[in-house]
Amino acid sequence: MNVLIVEDEKSLANEIALFLKRENFLCEMAHTGREASEKIAVNLYDFVLLDLGLPDYNGLDLIREAKKNNSDVSFIIITARGAVEDRVKGLDLGADDYLPKPFALAELHARIMAVTRRKFRISSPDIALGDFVMKTDSRKLMYGQKEVELTRKEFDLLYYLAINRNKVLTRHQLYEHIWGNTLDDQYDSNFIDVHIKNIRKKLNAHAPAPWLETARGVGYRISTDNQ
Amino acid sequence: MMKLQTKLALFNLLSKLVFSALFIGFLPLIIERINVRQTDKELVNKREEVIGLISEVGIEPFIHSDTAAGFGSYNILKEEYISLERSSTDDEWNYIDITQRIIDDEVIDYRVLHYSLKIDGESYLLEIGMSLASITYAARNIRNVILIFLGLFILVTLLSDLTYTAQILRPLRKITSRLRKTSFSSFDVTEPLVTSTEDFARLDRALREMMKKISELFSKEKEITVNISHELMTPVSVLRSRLENMLLNGNTDPATEAGIEESLRTLHRLKVLVNSMLMIARLESHQYLKEESVGICDIVKEVTGELEPIAEDGKVTVTLTCETNFTMKNANRSLLFSMLYNVVNNAVQHTPEGGMVDIHCGENSGRFEVSVSDTGKGMSPEHLDRLFTRFSTRPDKSGNGTGIGLAITKSIADFHDIAIRVLSEPGKGTQFFFFFPLNSL
Repeated sequence: MNVLIVEDEKSLANEIALFLKRENFLCEMAHTGREASEKIAVNLYDFVLLDLGLPDYNGLDLIREAKKNNSDVSFIIITARGAVEDRVKGLDLGADDYLPKPFALAELHARIMAVTRRKFRISSPDIALGDFVMKTDSRKLMYGQKEVELTRKEFDLLYYLAINRNKVLTRHQLYEHIWGNTLDDQYDSNFIDVHIKNIRKKLNAHAPAPWLETARGVGYRISTDNQ
Repeated sequence: MMKLQTKLALFNLLSKLVFSALFIGFLPLIIERINVRQTDKELVNKREEVIGLISEVGIEPFIHSDTAAGFGSYNILKEEYISLERSSTDDEWNYIDITQRIIDDEVIDYRVLHYSLKIDGESYLLEIGMSLASITYAARNIRNVILIFLGLFILVTLLSDLTYTAQILRPLRKITSRLRKTSFSSFDVTEPLVTSTEDFARLDRALREMMKKISELFSKEKEITVNISHELMTPVSVLRSRLENMLLNGNTDPATEAGIEESLRTLHRLKVLVNSMLMIARLESHQYLKEESVGICDIVKEVTGELEPIAEDGKVTVTLTCETNFTMKNANRSLLFSMLYNVVNNAVQHTPEGGMVDIHCGENSGRFEVSVSDTGKGMSPEHLDRLFTRFSTRPDKSGNGTGIGLAITKSIADFHDIAIRVLSEPGKGTQFFFFFPLNSL
C-alpha cells in the first residue's frame, strides 16, 4: 500500500515512515502543503497521513482539493492542535479518521487497517492464535467449535495485540487504545494487568495459551514466531 | 419587576386619571361660571327687549298710573319671571344677583337682573329672573356628557398607548432575545438593528461592539490553547514515535527495553499533564460542544461496567442503584463520562480489600443527584479543602495519577452547571455528591 506522510516535523515523518516500512507499506513524505498538494495530484496513494498544522497550508484544504478531484485516497488526520472543531470539520470533509498527537505507532497501524477494511469492504482474515481462532468479522474467539466468552474490552485488547502481533505493546499503548484519550489522566497500569489476567483465565479454561506473552517490565505481546 | 411597556401605559393612565379627576372636580365650578355668564347675557338681552317694548308702546300697558300695583309675569314652569313696578327711590340700579323667591310655597333660587328705568320723571324697577334650577340641570347634562367622553377617551388612549409602546419597544425585545441566544459557542455579531429610535440604535451598537470584543478574546484564547498544544505535543510525538520504534526494533536487551518503557511512561505523564491543563483551559473558555442529550444513569452503568474487573480484582464490591433515570440536555457525553469515571475510579482505587463502593442515582428534593460513597480511608479536612486544586494530591506510590483528575472533574461539572459536594471522614470513607441543574429535571 502507498502512503503519503504529510508532516512538517521531519523527524516525526521519518519515524512514522520507518515504522510503516517495516509493516511493508510504501512511504513517501511531504513536508509542506504545496509539496503534498502536488504529490496527491500526480501520484496514486491509498493513504494520506495528514498533519493539519502545516506552515504554508491549511491541512483541511488538502482534503477539499482531493475530494474535488474525485480522488479515492483516504485521509487520516494526525494533529497536535487539539482543537475540538478540527476533528469535526475534518471528518465532515471526508477524512477517514483522526488521531491526536502524540499517538502510538501501533494505534496508527490499527487505524489504517480499520480504514482499509471499511474502504474495500474486505472481511479481514481470521487470525490463528495457537489452538484458538479469532473471528474478526463476528468478533468472536473460538476454540474449535466452542466460543471463548470474552467481554468487549477483552476482545478489543486481544485483537489489538493480534493485529500488532510479534510486537511488544506497552500497558500504556493498550490502555490508550481501549480507553482513548479522554481518560488518560486515570491511567493505571493495573487495569491492563487485570484484564490480561482475566483473558488468560478464560483461555486456560480451554487450552494453554503460551502465545500471549508478558514482556517483563514493558508490556504484552502475542507471539506467533514459534508456531 | 414590571415591563417597561406596562410601566409606560400605567404612567399614562395615571396621569390621565389625575388630570380627569381634577377636571371633574373643577367641572361644576366651570360649568356654573359659563352658565351664569350665559344667563346674564340672556338677562341683559331680555332687558333690552323689554326696554324696546316699553319705548314702543309706552309704560302704560304694564303699569296703571292710578294703582300702585306693578306688572308681574311668570311662565308656566316658573323658570323665568319678569316684573316692572314703580320705585319709590331715585337710586340707579343695574346689577344681577341671586335672589330667593317664594312662589306657591316653593322657594326658588333665581338669577335676577335689577334695573332702574326713568320714564316721564317716574322711576321704575325692572326685574328679570331666571330659575337656577334649570341652570344646574343643564350643567348636570353637560357634565354627564363630558364624563362619558372622558371615560371613552381614557380607554381609547390606553389601548393606543399599549399598542404604540409595544411597537416602539419591539427593538428592545429583539435585542434581549438576541443576547439570550448568544452562547459561548456562538457570538454572532449580527447585522445592526433596524430601528428609528436612536436610544435603541445606540444600545445595539454598544452591545454589538462588546460582543465583538468578547468574541475576539475568545478566539484569541482558543488560538493560544491550539498553539500551546501544537508546540508542546509535536516534540512529545516525535519522542514517542522514536522510543516506540526503538522498542519495536526488538534487538535491544531487556534492561534497555524496560528503560525505554519507563521513558515512554514519563512522556505519557507529560502528555497527560499538558492535555489536562489544556482541557481545563478549554472547559473554562467553553470550547467544548454541549449538544447531546445524555442519560446519566446509562453513563453511570457504563462506568461501573468498565471498572468492574478492577474492583473484582481488588475485592471491592460495587453496588449501583438507579431510582430514576435523568436525561441531561445540552451536555457533552464523553466529558460527563470522564467526570463520573474519575470519581468512581478514585473510590475503587482508595477502597481496601473487602470494602464497598455504593453508587446511588435518584431524585432528592426536586434535583437529580448522583452519590458515590466508599468505605476507603477517607480524607482529613485539610485535604478535603484542597481536593479540587490542581496538583494538590501527590501521585500514588505506583506513579499513577497526576493529581489533576479531580480538578478536571470540577471543571467538567462547572461546565455543565453541576454542583459537587464531598463529605469525608478519615478512616470511614468518602462521599461524593453530584447535583444536577434544577431546571433540566
